[in-house]
Amino acid sequence: MTIGIPKALFYWKEPFSTGAHIGHFWEIFFESLGVEVILSPETNKEIVERGVKVSDPEFCFATKVFLGHILWLEGKVDYIFVPRLKTNEEKLEYCPKFFGLPDLAKILVKTPILTETFDMREGKIETSLEKLGKKLDKNAIKIEKAINNAFLKEKGSKKKQEQDFLKKIKSDKQRIVLISHPYNLYDDYVNVGIKKKLEKLGAEVIFIDEVPVKRQETRARSQKLDYPEFHWEFGKEIMEKIEEILKYTFSGAIEISSFLCGCDAVLKEFVEKAFKGNKIPFLYLIIDENTADAGLQTRLEAFMDTIQ
Amino acid sequence: MKITFPYWGNYTIAFKALFKKLGLSIVPPEKTNPRAIENGAKISPEMYCLPLKINIGNYLSAIKRGADTIFMVTSLGGSCRLRYYGAIQEKVLSDAGYDVNFIVFDQTPKDIYKKIKEVSGASFWQIIKAAWFFYEKLRLIEKLEKKANYLRPRERIKGETDKILMQAFLNLDKINTKKELAEFKEGISQKISEIKIDKNKDVPKVGLIGEIFTVSDGAVNFGIEEKLGREGVEVHREMDITYHLKKRVFPWKDWWIQKKINHYLGSTVGGHGRDAIYEMLEYVKKDFDGVIQLLPFGCMPETTVRPILQKIHLKSGIPFLSLSLDEQVAEAGINTRIEAFVDVVKNYYQKKYEKLSGH
Repeated sequence: MTIGIPKALFYWKEPFSTGAHIGHFWEIFFESLGVEVILSPETNKEIVERGVKVSDPEFCFATKVFLGHILWLEGKVDYIFVPRLKTNEEKLEYCPKFFGLPDLAKILVKTPILTETFDMREGKIETSLEKLGKKLDKNAIKIEKAINNAFLKEKGSKKKQEQDFLKKIKSDKQRIVLISHPYNLYDDYVNVGIKKKLEKLGAEVIFIDEVPVKRQETRARSQKLDYPEFHWEFGKEIMEKIEEILKYTFSGAIEISSFLCGCDAVLKEFVEKAFKGNKIPFLYLIIDENTADAGLQTRLEAFMDTIQ
Repeated sequence: MKITFPYWGNYTIAFKALFKKLGLSIVPPEKTNPRAIENGAKISPEMYCLPLKINIGNYLSAIKRGADTIFMVTSLGGSCRLRYYGAIQEKVLSDAGYDVNFIVFDQTPKDIYKKIKEVSGASFWQIIKAAWFFYEKLRLIEKLEKKANYLRPRERIKGETDKILMQAFLNLDKINTKKELAEFKEGISQKISEIKIDKNKDVPKVGLIGEIFTVSDGAVNFGIEEKLGREGVEVHREMDITYHLKKRVFPWKDWWIQKKINHYLGSTVGGHGRDAIYEMLEYVKKDFDGVIQLLPFGCMPETTVRPILQKIHLKSGIPFLSLSLDEQVAEAGINTRIEAFVDVVKNYYQKKYEKLSGH
């Protein structure tokens, strides 16, 4: 049996995956169960074009890309895996689009969709993973092993990320913080290779999700930054990480949004306020299928000029 | 303290009555108009959904007329952006240099009661009485709107229903006592019964579904119900404040809806996304001749379910039109689309009719 996993949206989300270079929670989980996994490739022009073509025009760009990945997997695998992510372990909600992803995939392709709901208001992650394993006719012991395997790897990657962060924040280069959802940060095609572009301009790029925030600290909400109590996991996470990064010195911050991302319409207001309020140069970029390489380059150059 | 609040179609009448009954001094919001929308959009976050921008436009005109406090209700339980309306609107106005007080209500009776009590100083009974008066007006408004949807395609003198309705809402706005309200109810039902209609006329039926604010405010949706009615189409709409309140009081309604739509969507997607699917399926079942979805451009729940609505449309053959509204949409464009859609609806209805009568 083969399972296809689209390399988009949920693929990059915590706690299931912590970044492009690390993570791989889902692959490890399914492979440990003895299932062959086929990942869709890195986002490319064809995937984006196909996704845009079949998507509702008012979907956010990230969802359009996701549907492109689903189309790529169609016919190549026995099942396409699309979990229904509802709330995380802090009982905070994912973007409401995530609630409907399995259904949106289902009406698009003939390949059956393998799904399971992850709602931690209702039960633990492990319970959902067990149910998922049982759908594949695996026995309880094997499932438990697979869960442990996947989590173990994830823990390891988290540690490495923290060490990397401490190195980067001490770098002599212009330190630039990139703020966005992981599916924008780690997908180089979607973000038009922004990391490489900035590095070429002499910057040390720090992704906001690399900033370590300790769980205990996050419990007590600090009042230094003024923002609403988010019911969105990414809202709380990003704001807390911004609060943390503001303890260090860096040269500027860039926020990237998928065109028509409804959540970012809310979040951006407070992200921008946090940086501008602390007199840190801030650039806001909206990306979609029409974002031109040259246009972005010019804006980044201008931004780097202003902070030097 | 001079209080203002967002304009919301004919419901504004009921909200005005509520605040007056509580003894609050209010600056009523001006009816939403293109200028207000433009002004609101100018200072609102560009990517935010239309109702937020409209609200801001309403506030701006009320602030000019002396309002210093804003009442806003957000949906605490929902998963959509409405949740942050209070926070964002407060920020937008403060960034634009307006010094106003925001009182944000969660959609829980306890929170509403507590804050109302604090602001108005009214007694328990006064609040209960005001709330009841509010609800009576609100119910009447909804009933009149529904009745009009039945009458318009059947009236003999074109435009008579709307003429009577408009006058009725103006009068209803002035009513301050229960006694007057009872008299008004009697008077209006008399007037409505005098409207000459073709009782036996069979007309095509269209279901209006979508986001609650856009479907229920004629000033936002360019009077879509009137337009369809004048074209000879009977409009049905489930989505109104009573529907929403009922669902909050009886939460198992959501469970029931989920059960019915499980094949299409396995979960809530925020807002009234599930309801749109459920309503469309019901209209298909009831053999309607068309479904129109109205939504603010980019509305998260409504856009998520749109491909599913389209799927139902393709499977059942029922004509379907989805209209996204934002500050740039012009009435002329909407008119063209509605007219074209009415043609499709009438065609569909005609064919069905022919099939039934064996032609």
